[in-house]
Amino acid sequence: MEAPPVTVMPVTGGTINMMEYLLQGSVLDQSLESLLHRLRGLCDNMEPESFADHELVYLLKGQQGNPFMLRGRRSLLHPTAPWHLRYLGQPEVGDKSRHALVRNCVDVAASHSLPEFLNEMGFRMDHEFVAKGQVFRKGAMKVVVSKLLRVLATGNTENTEPLSLSYLVELSVLAPAGQDTVSEDMRSFAEQLKPLVHLEKIDPKRLM
Amino acid sequence: MRLHISSLTGLSASSVAAAVQEVSLDGLETYVPLLSMSQNLAKLAQRIDFNQSSDSDEDGPERESREPWGKPEPEEDEGTVKFQPSLWPWDSVRNNLRSALTEMCVLHDVLSVLKDKKYMALDPVSQDPALTKTPQVFQLISKKKSLATAAQLLLKGAEKLTKSLAENQEQRRQRDFNSELLRLRSQWKLRKVGHKILGDLSYRSAGSLFPHHGTFEVIKNTDIDLDKKVPDDYCPLNVQIPSDLEGSAYIKVSIQKQSADIGDLGTVSLFRRQPKAKPGSQMWHLKLEAAQNVLLCKEIFAQLSREAVQIKSQIPHIVVKNQIISQPFPGLQLSISLCHSTGEKKSQRASPDKSKPDDHLYVLEHNLHQLIREVHTMPHPASSPFGHKRLRLAGPMAYDKAEISSLQQSEGLLEKIIKQAKHIFLRSRTARTIDSLASRIEDPQIQAHWSNINSVYESSVKVLITSQGYEQICKSIQLQLNIGVEQIRVVHRDGRVITLSHQEQELQDFLLSQMSQHQVHAVQQLAKVMGWHVLSFSNHVGLGPIESIGNASAITVASPSGEHAISVRNGPESGCKVLVQFPRNQAKELPKSDAVQDARWTHLRGPYREVHCGRMEGRNFVYKMELLMAALSPCP
Repeated sequence: MEAPPVTVMPVTGGTINMMEYLLQGSVLDQSLESLLHRLRGLCDNMEPESFADHELVYLLKGQQGNPFMLRGRRSLLHPTAPWHLRYLGQPEVGDKSRHALVRNCVDVAASHSLPEFLNEMGFRMDHEFVAKGQVFRKGAMKVVVSKLLRVLATGNTENTEPLSLSYLVELSVLAPAGQDTVSEDMRSFAEQLKPLVHLEKIDPKRLM
Repeated sequence: MRLHISSLTGLSASSVAAAVQEVSLDGLETYVPLLSMSQNLAKLAQRIDFNQSSDSDEDGPERESREPWGKPEPEEDEGTVKFQPSLWPWDSVRNNLRSALTEMCVLHDVLSVLKDKKYMALDPVSQDPALTKTPQVFQLISKKKSLATAAQLLLKGAEKLTKSLAENQEQRRQRDFNSELLRLRSQWKLRKVGHKILGDLSYRSAGSLFPHHGTFEVIKNTDIDLDKKVPDDYCPLNVQIPSDLEGSAYIKVSIQKQSADIGDLGTVSLFRRQPKAKPGSQMWHLKLEAAQNVLLCKEIFAQLSREAVQIKSQIPHIVVKNQIISQPFPGLQLSISLCHSTGEKKSQRASPDKSKPDDHLYVLEHNLHQLIREVHTMPHPASSPFGHKRLRLAGPMAYDKAEISSLQQSEGLLEKIIKQAKHIFLRSRTARTIDSLASRIEDPQIQAHWSNINSVYESSVKVLITSQGYEQICKSIQLQLNIGVEQIRVVHRDGRVITLSHQEQELQDFLLSQMSQHQVHAVQQLAKVMGWHVLSFSNHVGLGPIESIGNASAITVASPSGEHAISVRNGPESGCKVLVQFPRNQAKELPKSDAVQDARWTHLRGPYREVHCGRMEGRNFVYKMELLMAALSPCP
C-alpha cells in the first residue's frame, strides 16, 4: 500500500496569513456607561454580548533569542466551548502613515487538553489573567471592552482583583495580508468614538 | 474814582458820647479823651478807600507796594496791608491823586500824539464779517448738518433692520433644514463625508450580506422662491436615492394548477405595502422606505434565484429574468416573480386579487424576513475570530467530512418556500375534498373540525362520520388527519394508522369506504340498543361483487325472539342491500318435507326477502333500520 501523497509546499492560504489590525484605548470606570451607549448605537444591531474569559500566556524559552509566546484563552461563561490558541507576530514596521497596528495572527481552536499539551511541548505558563466585559461588532470590525483582572492564586479564577480602575477598549479586524483599506475604515470608526475614548496604535515594544 | 464818603456824613455835629475807658475803685470814671476836630477828620480820612472801585483788584498789589513809600515800618508779613496809625492820614489820598494825575497826563500825551497823525494813527479794528452777517444762514447750515446726521442714523438703523429681517428668513429656512435633518437622523443612519451628507438604507446592520451599497444622499432643497407662497408639502430637505432603487417593487407569488380539481390557488403579492401617508411623515421618509423595500425584494429574489440554480431537485427550477418557476407537485406550478415598477409607468397587468391563502401571507413574509437575516453569534472566548460556531467546534471535536457537511447543510430559502407552498396546496385540497363529499352525500354526515393552531408545514383536522339523530350511538368512525408537506397521515379511532399520498383520489376513496363502514357499524350499535343480537359482523366481506374502492362490510342481526333476522351489506360502490329473514310459517310457499314433521320447526327462520330501502320511510339509513327492527319485533 503506498503512502498517500504529501504535499511539500508550505501552507500559505486559508487562515495562515491573516493579519490583525489593532487599535487600543482605555476608559475610566465612570465613563464606561456612555461608551457602551455609544457603541450600541454605532455597531450592528444586536443585544450586547457579555463575556468572561480566562487567558493563559505560555512562553517557550529557546537557547537563543526571544522566547516564543502563545496565548490560550477559554470562556468562563461557556465551559464547553473550545479553547482558543493564538499566536501574534511582531508588529509590521510599514509606513508610519498606517493608522492601525498590523501584526501576523494565527488563530486555532483547541480542545480542553490544551494546557497539558503545551506543557508537554515545553511551554511554561508565564502569566494569566481574567478578562470580563462586552464585545460588539460592526461588519468585520470587532470592538472589545474588557476589564482585566489579576488572578491571585494560580488556576483559581474565582479570586480575582482588578488590575486598574479602567477598561481596555480594543478595535480589531482580521483580514488577509495586503488590505490597507481596512485601517482606513478602522480610523474613521475610531474618529466617531473620539471624545469618549482615544483609540490609537500602541506599539507593545515601546511599553517594555 | 469814587470816593466812599458816605462815612463822612457823620462828620458834622456829631457829639459822640465819650466812651468810658476805666472805672476806678472809687467810682471815678475815666473817659476816653475825645478826639479833637483834626483828629476826627484824620480818622475819617483814613476811612476813605480810594481803591474801592472797579479796578480795585489790579490796584491791590499797587497799594501794597505803595505802603513802603511812607515811613518804612518793619513789616514782616508781605501781602497784607495793615492799618498804620503813625502814617500821615492823607498819605493814601495824596498817592491816589498823584497816580490819577499821572494817568491823566499820559492820556493827554497820547491824544496829542494821535492828533498829529504822524507817529500814531487810529484805525478801526477789522470786524469779522461772518459775525456781523445775518445769523439765519448759520442757522440753516447748522440745521442742515444736524438733519443730515439724524438722517444718516435713521438710514443705518433701517439698513440693520432689513438685514436682520432677511437673515431671519434665511435662518428660518436654515432652521427648517436643520430640524428636518434631525428628524431624518432619528430614523435613518447618516454620516458626513466631506461636504456631503450620506445615509445608509441597506440592511447591513441587521446582518444582510447583499453587496448593494444602499447609500443615499441628503441635499438641501433650495429651489424655492421666497416671494411666492410656500407650498404645503414643501420640505427643505431632499434625498437622492440610487437610481436602481427608484420606484417600488414587490414579490409576486402565484400557485397555479391547470386541472379542474382545485384550480388556481391564486396569486399573492408580498411586501407590497402601500405607503400609508401618515400625517407628519415627510416625503423623504416615504421615498426612503420605498427604496428600502425595493432593496429587500431584490435581495430576496437574488437569494432565491441563486438557490434555484444551485439546489438539485427532481424537477429542475427555471429561472427566467425576473421569474422563478418550479413545480412542487406534478401539475402544480409555483412562480415567484419580482415586479419592479419605476416611476409613474403603470404596470400593464392588472393586479390580481388576493386569493384564499391570505392568512399565510404574513407568515411567509415573516419567514422571509427571518431567513434573510443571518443571525450573528458572538464567539466565546471573545478573542476568537468571527465565524460559524459549528466550524469552530469542528477542529477540536475532530469532525469528519460527513459530519461537517451535515452541520453545514441548512435549508435554503427556496426549499422552505416550496415546502410551504406544498403544504398550503395539500391542505386546501384536503379541505375541498372533504367539503365536496359533505355536500354530495347526505346520509352519513361528515363533520370536519380543523385545529386553529397549525405549523407552517403541518396542519390537522378531525373528521367525524355520523348519522343525523344517532350521533351518540354511532360514533365509531373518527379520523384524525395530519396534513404534512407531501403526505396525509390518518389515525383511526381503533388505532390504525394509514398514510395517504398527495393524490386527491386516495383521500376521497378512503372517506367513501369509511362512510360505508359506518353504516354497518351503526346497525351494530343500533342492534345493541334495540335488543337485537348480532349474529355476524364483518368489515371486509369476501363475498358478493368486488368493490373497486375499499371493501364491503356486512352484518346480520337477529330479533330478540329469534324469529326475524336482518342482514345488511354495505359497499362504497354497490350501496346497501338489506335482506330480512322470516320464519318459515310466514313464507308464501311451504316446502313439504317428510323429514320435518313437527309444527314447531315452522318457527325457524327460513327464506329471505329483500327490502327496498329507497321506498322506506326515514330520512337516513339508520332510521330506516330502526323502523325495520321495530316493525319486526312484535309488541309483547
